[in-house]
Formats: sequence, C-alpha cells, structure tokens
Amino acid sequence: MNPAPQINPGLPNTSIKQLSTKRIRLRKSLDETKRFIKTQKIGVISLSIIMLFILLAAFAPLIAPYDPIEQDRSAFMLAPTAAHIMGTDDLGRDIFSRIIFGARVSLLVGIATVAISMICGTILGVISGYFGKVIDMAIQRVMDAIMAIPPLILALFIAALLGPAIKNVIIALTIVNIPHFARITRGEMLRIKEMNYVEASRSAGSGALRIIAKHGIPNMMAPIIVIASLTFGQSIIAEASLSFLGIGTPPPNPSWGLMLSGASSYMENAPWMVLFPGLVLSIAVLAFNLLGDALRDFLDPKLN
Amino acid sequence: MEKSTILSVDGLKTVFQTRHGYVDAINDITFTISQGETVAIVGESGSGKSVTALSIMKLLESSGQIASGQVLFNDMNLAELSDRKIRDIRGKQIAMIFQDPMSCLDPLYTIGDQIMEILKIHEDLTPAEADNRVLELLKLVGIPDGETRRNSYPHELSGGQRQRVMIAIALACRPNLLIADEPTTALDVTVQAQILGLLKQLQADFGTSIILVTHDLGVVAEMADRVIVVYSGTVVEQSGVHELFSKPEHPYTEALIRSIPRADTDRTAPLHIIRGSVPGLHEMPSGCRFHPRCDYATEICTQQEPPLFHLESDRSSRCWMKDGSLAKEFQHRLNTDNLDSRHPAPPNDAYTASKKEILLEVHNMQKHFPILKGILSRKVGAVKAVDGVSFEIFKGETLGLVGESGCGKSTTGRLILRLLDITDGEVKYGGINLAEFKGRQLKEQRKKMQIVFQDPYSSLNPRMTIGDIISEPLEIHRIASGSEKIRRAGELLEMVGLSSKDVYKFPHQFSGGQRQRIGIARALATEPELLVCDEAVSALDVSVQAQILNLLKKLQGELALSYLFISHDLNVVKYIADRICVMYLGKIVETADSETLFTNPTHPYTRALLSSVPVPDPTIKKERIILEGDVPNPAKPPSGCAFHTRCEHAKEICKSKIPEFKQMSLGHKVACHLIN
Amino acid sequence: MVNYVIKRSVYGLIVLLIMISFVFIVMRLVPGDVVALQLSGAGAVSEEQIAQLRSELGLDKSVWAQFLDWTKNAVTGDLGKSLWSKMPVTTLIAERITVTLQLAFMAITMAILIAIPAGIYSAMKRNTWIDHMIRVIAIGGLSIPNFWFALLLIIFLSLFFGWIPPLGYQSFFSNPIVNLQQMILPALVLALSLSASIVRMTRSSLLEVLHADFIRTIRAKGAKEKLVIMKHALRNSLIPVITLIGLQVGFLLGGTVIIESIFSLPGIGSLIFEGVTKRDYPVVQATVLVYGALFMIVNLIVDIAYGWIDPRMRPD
Repeated sequence: MNPAPQINPGLPNTSIKQLSTKRIRLRKSLDETKRFIKTQKIGVISLSIIMLFILLAAFAPLIAPYDPIEQDRSAFMLAPTAAHIMGTDDLGRDIFSRIIFGARVSLLVGIATVAISMICGTILGVISGYFGKVIDMAIQRVMDAIMAIPPLILALFIAALLGPAIKNVIIALTIVNIPHFARITRGEMLRIKEMNYVEASRSAGSGALRIIAKHGIPNMMAPIIVIASLTFGQSIIAEASLSFLGIGTPPPNPSWGLMLSGASSYMENAPWMVLFPGLVLSIAVLAFNLLGDALRDFLDPKLN
Repeated sequence: MEKSTILSVDGLKTVFQTRHGYVDAINDITFTISQGETVAIVGESGSGKSVTALSIMKLLESSGQIASGQVLFNDMNLAELSDRKIRDIRGKQIAMIFQDPMSCLDPLYTIGDQIMEILKIHEDLTPAEADNRVLELLKLVGIPDGETRRNSYPHELSGGQRQRVMIAIALACRPNLLIADEPTTALDVTVQAQILGLLKQLQADFGTSIILVTHDLGVVAEMADRVIVVYSGTVVEQSGVHELFSKPEHPYTEALIRSIPRADTDRTAPLHIIRGSVPGLHEMPSGCRFHPRCDYATEICTQQEPPLFHLESDRSSRCWMKDGSLAKEFQHRLNTDNLDSRHPAPPNDAYTASKKEILLEVHNMQKHFPILKGILSRKVGAVKAVDGVSFEIFKGETLGLVGESGCGKSTTGRLILRLLDITDGEVKYGGINLAEFKGRQLKEQRKKMQIVFQDPYSSLNPRMTIGDIISEPLEIHRIASGSEKIRRAGELLEMVGLSSKDVYKFPHQFSGGQRQRIGIARALATEPELLVCDEAVSALDVSVQAQILNLLKKLQGELALSYLFISHDLNVVKYIADRICVMYLGKIVETADSETLFTNPTHPYTRALLSSVPVPDPTIKKERIILEGDVPNPAKPPSGCAFHTRCEHAKEICKSKIPEFKQMSLGHKVACHLIN
Repeated sequence: MVNYVIKRSVYGLIVLLIMISFVFIVMRLVPGDVVALQLSGAGAVSEEQIAQLRSELGLDKSVWAQFLDWTKNAVTGDLGKSLWSKMPVTTLIAERITVTLQLAFMAITMAILIAIPAGIYSAMKRNTWIDHMIRVIAIGGLSIPNFWFALLLIIFLSLFFGWIPPLGYQSFFSNPIVNLQQMILPALVLALSLSASIVRMTRSSLLEVLHADFIRTIRAKGAKEKLVIMKHALRNSLIPVITLIGLQVGFLLGGTVIIESIFSLPGIGSLIFEGVTKRDYPVVQATVLVYGALFMIVNLIVDIAYGWIDPRMRPD
C-alpha cells in the first residue's frame, strides 16, 4: 500500500481552524430559520400564538386577574363584563383566569406526551425497521394491538383505571401515541437502510448503533417533527376530552376540558362558560396543526 | 427529392417559474422537420431537450410556459393554440412516447383499455372496430397473443413490452409526427436494439416523421437523418448526421463526440474531457453558455452570446469561430493549443501480465434470495441472483463485470464486500476465506475493500458535511479524529480533484460529477486495496463520465488499486477494464481480456450484446444480432444453459445440460455447448 | 387467496390476543377492585364477606387461571356476565352496538359524501379563493374538539330555533323519524373531523398524482381534463385516502364515547366507560374485543378496497 498521499503544501489550514463543525451547523440552522420566516408566514403566525400560550402559562400568576380556584359566591355565573372579561362560572370563579391557568395543564400534557412518546416510539420504530425479522414482527404486532383499540377508548381505559391525575393522563396518552411515531420511524428506517450512504458506511465497518444514530435518525427528523406538532394538538384535545369525562385532570384544577364539562350543565343559562374555554382550546390546537402543515411544506420540497 | 416541412420551430423560448423567479429552460430553439425524416435532439441533462419536446405538445407542467417563439404545424401555430384545439392535435397528428414506460402507463388499467382510450378520444368507431384496431396495433408493435395480452396490466409486462405498448398508443391514430423522448434510455441494450428496430420499421411503413430526443450519440448515429445539438437550453449546432460525426462544427459537439469511450478507443491514453459540468438554470454563464468549458474560448465568448451562424450544406453552429471577421482571434488559439497534450496521460498500468498476483479469488459463489410464502413464511423457492460464479482479481488490475439488469452483477459486488451473506461457495481475499472473518477481524478487513456507487445523490448523507462524510471511515477505525480527521478529508478531496475547502459544505452544494468524486474520496479514506465500482459512471453526463473515468485510471496508477468495475455499458468497461466477465442470469458466460472479448466474442450472448450497442458513427452499419424476448425471471431460470431460450443456435443439449466453462485460449473461457 | 385470508386471520388473532391479555392483566393489577367497590356502600364488612363475594365473582383464582377460563369460554361465544347487573355481556353488547354502528355508519357516509368531492374541487381549483376557503375550513375542522362543537350546536339550535333533539333513544326500526332526529346531530359532529382529514388527503394525493408521468401520457393522447382527472387521477389517488379512512375509523369510534354521553345515547362507548369506572371486568374485556374485531373488519374492507382499485394489490 502506498504511503499516505502527500499533504498539499497550499492547504489553507487557517481557514479550516477558524470554522468548527459546530459553527457550520449553527450557521446552517440560522439560515434555515431565516428561510422558514421568509417562506412560511402562517407557520410564523402559529408559532407566535404558541409562544403566547407558553408565556401565559409561565407567568399565569402575574397575568391572571383572579385566583383560578377560589370561589366567590357574590360573582355567580356573571356574563362577561369589564371586571370579568369572559364572565364567571357556576362557582363564581373568573373564567379568564382559569383559562390562563388551564394553559399550564394543556401545555404540560402536550409537551410530556409528545416528548415521551416521540422518544419511545422512535426507538421502537428504528429498531423494528433496522433489525427486521422476529424483532420487527414482535414490535409490530404489539403496535397493531395498541392501534386496534380506538385511541380515546384506550386512553380512557388507562386513565380511568389509574384514577384522575395529570400524571395518569400523560401515561395514557403516551401509550396511545407511541405507535404513530413507531410506524413513521420504522418506514423511514426501512427507506434509509436502502440508501447507498448507509451501505457505504457499512462497508467502511460501522455497526448498527452508528448507522442508526448518524444516518438514520438525522434523516428522519423531518417527518418526526411534523408528526410531533400534530400529535401535540391531538394530545391537548385528548386531555380535554378525558377531563370532560371526569377522568382527566382532577377538580378543582383549572383545565379547559374540565371547565367545559362543568359548563355543559348550564349551556342555555351561561353560554359563555362553554364558548370561551372551547374557543381558546381550538385556537391552541389550530396553532399546532398549522405549524405542522407549515413544517411539512418547509421540510418536504416535493410538496407544493 | 425535397420533402415538405411538417413542423418548424422558430425561436422557441420556455420559462419556468421557480422560487427565485422565472428562469429560461430553453431559449431560441429553432429547427424544422420534414415528412418521413428523423431529427435527433441531442444534449446532456439540463440542456432543455425534453422541455423542447414538451413545449411542442404544450404538455409543460403548470409552472412552465412558452414565453415566445412559434411552433408551426400545418400552418397552425401550436404555441398559441387554445387547449381545446391542441387536444385535437395531440395523439391524433402528433404523438409522443416517453422515457420510462413503467411510470408512463396508468397502473390501474389494462393495456387494452389504454390503447382503446386514444381511439375513443379521436375516432368514432364501433366497439367491434375498436377491438379489432387494438389487436391490430398489438400485433403491429410485436406483442404476440394480443387477445389475452390486452387484458394484462402494465406491471405484468416487461420494460420492453411496456415500451411497445406506448408505441402502440402513439401510433394508434397514425400521426404524422412522433416525438420520442429518450425512448430507450430505461431499457437494456438488447431490448433497446429491438425497440429502435421497431421504430425504424414502423417509420418505413407509415412515413412518420420522428423527433428523437436523446443523450446517447450512439442512438443518434443509428437513427437520425439530421441532428440538433442543444446545450444549456439553446441550439449550438445543427447538421446532417454524417457531417456531424465526421466534422463537428461547434467545440461542444466536437468535445462531446471525442469524450465517449468507444470500442476502438485507446485504453492506454486518457479520454478527452470537457472540464466542469453543465451549468444549472440559475447560474447560466454570460456570453456563450459553453465558454467556461470551451478549449477555444476568448474574450468575446465571455461577453456576447453568439448567434446561430449558417454554414454550407444546410448546417449551422452557434460559435464565434464561425464569424469570418473574428477568425484571426481564434487562429492564434488553434495554433498554440495542442488539445491532446493538455490532459495528463495516466501512468502506465501497475498491472502487467508478467507479475500477476491474486488479490481476490471467488469460487462457485452463490446467492439465493428466498421466496417466502404462506403463514409461516415457508420458503417456496429462491431467486438465484448469483448462481455459481468464479473469477479472480489480480493486484493492480481492473476486472470488468458486464451484463444487463437483473443478471446479478451488483449482487456479486456486494457479496464480495460482505454487505450480503453468501449462500454457498467462497471468496478468498489474500488466500483467506472471507466468511471466516468475524467481529474485529471483519472490521479490519473492511478497510481493504470499499465501494463506489452509481447514484451520486443517494450515496452521500444529505445531513452531513463533506468532511464528516469522507472522514467517517477514519472515525470508525479510529485512524484520525478532530482536526486531523478534517485535514485528512481535505487531502482526500484534493486527491480527487476538489478543493480542501469543501470539507464544510453539504452534498446539495455539488453537481453529480463532484458528488461522485466525493464518493471516491470517501472510498479511498482507509487506503483500500480493492474498490468495487458499481455502475460508478452510469448516472453521469457523458462529458462528466470521461472525467471520472480518467480520475479512476489516475488513482489506480498512483495508489496501485484493484478495481471490480461493474457496468452495463460495454464501451466504458472496454476502456477501463483489463479483463471482462460477461454475466447472464446469475452466471458468467464468458471471460476474456478486453481486447480479446471485443475482437473475438465467442458466446452467443456476448456476440449479441456487443452487436446491440449503438456505435456513435453513422458510417458503420453493423450486422445486428437481435435477441428475441426479454431476460427470463431469475426465480424461474430456464433449464440447462440459461440462455437457450433466446439463443438462435440453441440445440437439444442446451435445454437439458448446464454448459461447462471451456478454455478457448489463455484467459479466455466460455460456457457454451456449441464451442469445441 | 385462501392462503392470504388464513394469514390475515392468524395475524388478527395474534393481535386480538395481545390486546385482550393486556386489558385483562392491567385491569386486575391496578389498585382498586370491583369487590371493594361493590361493598363500599355496605358499611363494615368482614373478611369472610369479601372472600365470599370474591369467589362468587370468580376472582379468587390466579390471574392466569382466570384468563384461561375466560379464553376457553370466549371461544365458545360465552363472554361472561356483568359483575354488577349479572346480565350476560353478549346481551348487553347486542343491545347497544346497533346505536354505535349506526352512528359510525352515518358519520362515515356523510364525511365521504362531503369530503371527497370537496377535496377534488379544491385540487382542481388550486390556489383560487375557493381552494383556500376549503383548506381553511378543513384545518379548522381538524382543530375543533368534537365535544365542544356538539355543545355549540346544541346551544345554537336551542337558543335560536328552540329545538332540542328528542330525549331517550328509539331504534330506527321502531321509529325512524325520531331515530334520525336523535342521530343526525351526533353523526354530524363525528363527521366533522373525519371529513376535514379526508378533504386534506384527497386534495394532496390528487395533486401528487397529477404530477405523475402517466398523466402526461394521457394528456398526450389528447384527453380532456375531465377524463384525466375522473378516470385516471382520481382512482390513482384513492389508495392513501382509503388508508386514512381506515385509520380514522378508530378515532371516530373513540369519539363516540364522549358524543354518546353528551347526547345520552346508549351505545357501547358509554358501556365501556361505565364498565371501566365500575371495574366490571367481563364487560370491559368483551367491549375491547368488539372494538378489536371492528378494527379487523375495517382493515379487511380497506384491503378489499385496495385490491378493487389497484390490480397490483390483488392477492394472487
């Protein structure tokens, strides 16, 4: 074998040192962000709405004009006024304040559910897709079994058994959502596995872990992010649904679903009790759905 | 015998709307075609040849539109025709066939239905008449047994048959003009010969004019009467086919013709190349679009776009050299430049017959992919992708492996690299059986063998920088890390003719040819002894292909590499390989050194394969052996000699007994019963 | 073909088995059991009483023994008796499943009838105001929780029209008019998000197919746009739409729980809800089994539809 090829004397070592790989990546992600802002107006709007919700949740005690839990017998089912811009509920609590605090529950459930199910689902999907055969068969049948039960029924089953608590809602929704991530990442892994760059890496001697970590996961981030955004919205709805049925967030905690559940008995007398929590809930979900669409447009050049 | 012009395209310009605004896909395309004539539009990818074809039919995607110019057909300007009126012309008077017959037929309807459809659109036939016409058409394009075949779906047919169906649809209403857009590019060379023969015969029968869009100069030489050469969206030369090949007038045409390896190309000399690559639509050079790549370019070429100069015998060329008043300026350059001397000759082959030392030995290698069925996934059969292959690769040599798609040549390459597991037989590397390597040993062994792929797009991870891609093998084997790793990557880039500054770029910033160089650099990172090149130049433009072939030759000399060069392109293999194995249905049918194989092909399949390759020289009209039918299904290979179903010399014994490998002369072996 | 059916059935059985054992075991492992619930109203109870009730309900055996017993009986069609009402579970389900099935059937039919034409229209009028409007409505439909939509509809109809759906439940065969009055609103609510996703999928799938090479071939034949879309593009774009509908049926069935509770409809959604909260094991197990079976049937229908549309997907 030949000795190592001669070093080119004119090699611009200095310029190479100045640029570290990290900085290159940082610059690339900055460029990408600029392109997103430029091309995805709706995406930017929905992202701002989401940011607004996050701020509301974070600074709820500072923003909310009233305590969300304390009852005020003198302000019983008031229609919206200047003092209570969204009115009060059947126990005299300020709806606006409860909505602001409710954002905490919704966002917490959304973040936790998406994060855990994304991680677990991706691990399962990638293993399933990469190794195939018996492991794939086993994982896929379990995923099929989870998906064979309607998602809300399964969540209801788990949440009702475990008892009303935010933690239990998160566990239930995580189990429900794992198969979505597992399915998409399995498909992606199967696709990527056939790519020449994976073959090149294998022929250079790399093992499963390296291929999955360096070639697999980075190349499936686009669909994962899109699914994550849509799942976020769906989880918020699911939390509200469980709370509406009385097996989600336990009272008197402010949760949008719980508020709607309480309001359903007073629909005709106090429609604002139904209107506002639902409206805010829909706006939050809409923001995540729009963000998902924008990300899909942005990340998939094939789609128009 | 002047024939009437049926279509004339004048100053056609088509623009596409993109994110960055409008770009010209074609600009000032002008040509005519007469009754019964075949005009070839030839160019590389991005030259606008397909856009030209689609513009004539007004079949552009919604983002494209004709900006100016005329398309005169029977005194109608098609460019200005309403949708309704052009529909009456499409399919009826001008028909079109496309490149990939798989994706061009609706997968959900039978072929009979799809042929019938065009008859229903344009002709008022009774069902019985239409039925008869469908059967007639199937017979016409050589699909036997039309009565049952008409009920087949596209996926049940082979590529060649699907293209025949496309031709049947195109000719259903007896159009005056047929536009064929790369009609044989997706097909194997023996099938290509069938389809080209069919087109010629149908043209002779019906007097149809054909516009043939292609990148293949061999096909041009074989089919065309006149040729339009396009480059970067504009016509650079227009000429009769004989004149074009004997005396090209535009530097691009000249360089293109010289850069293709042919059977008679000198193997020891480097190929002529065109430097750089075809510019993208967004980065169109000023002045003459070819000037950055032109050996003759001067000041004026960089500033002003040349007009189409009309020359004698109805030729034209878009080059300032044809402007008499500028002759002096170019005279200077023509004299001082000896084109041949500017490209360095590759060092002599490290491989000489005298010091043969075996690097790799393959003995009776087999790979059977099981066909699984049923509840328990029982094995019901096997696709014998590689079925008993034996050969050896000597140190410093290039062994060529040729065959049509599905013959098992790529599988062979992957088996040698242990990317797939062998079913039976053995591969010895340096005398040791590869199957014995496990764990660490195997990882060590992998350093010595690397692969270069066909598709320059899927072979580089789009999320990694070039530096990370090239240095991945270094990291895996802990040869280098950190800045040392990046420095090595830079060196490797310089070795393959790129800049060391490119380490921080991402794959999408490079052209196909450059990506192929990056792929080669990665393969060289661990200082391997053997490179498997799997169709390594097949996806590249002709002008870029020559660059890569020269690079591979140069590296072989410098680094004493051995190559297993897998390709379907016989001329490329002839140029680069020292010895060649011909594969058919998982078996090697003939092995010889390249000169012998081309001068004295012995196996009937090799002979047919060689005769099927179109030669880029219209003066050679060679005797063609047209093989019948398609390659059989490897899951159900024919008994005895696998080739007997298509062999015109087949005898009884061929059907029952598998032929042995017989030595013809030193190093020339053939597996055929007919050879004594 | 026979092989294919057998293979599918075996997979189906495996999936059902995994599903039911999960439900079976989880229900019994999680704290809070039916015995405690039933005795909670009786004041002080002795250990003996507990043990007696336990063996009465068949809960004194090990989980595995119970599972084996249950499976054995289930194979013969006996799904046990409710631990509370002591009614055979099969009877309970038979009474209620028609409600849920009717609801689901009406919702799916409405969704398909509205959404597929809307999706086609949206794709054909791409980037016009009407396309934008359809897309906005679709994404809105995806984002609005169906139970809130149901509450709004009720408020709206009662406040402005003074109309409330008739209370109670009447079967379609005993009183079709009342039945439809009761069912139309819940079905509409369930159809909302389903049609939203169908519109979106139809539109994007159709647009993608319109870029396919074979569409160009058909245009090159001189075909009219109507033929291109209605005969070729639409059929080719249906596969992903059908896949989506198959998947969304699950969502729809899940949604019935909450919708049935709002409109006081006695379907299996409310049956399983009560069953889980009261730890009525046999009821829950049987209902989950029914959901699983429905899922298998839907998958089978989807597969048949694939084969009907696409000759490449017909099992040989």
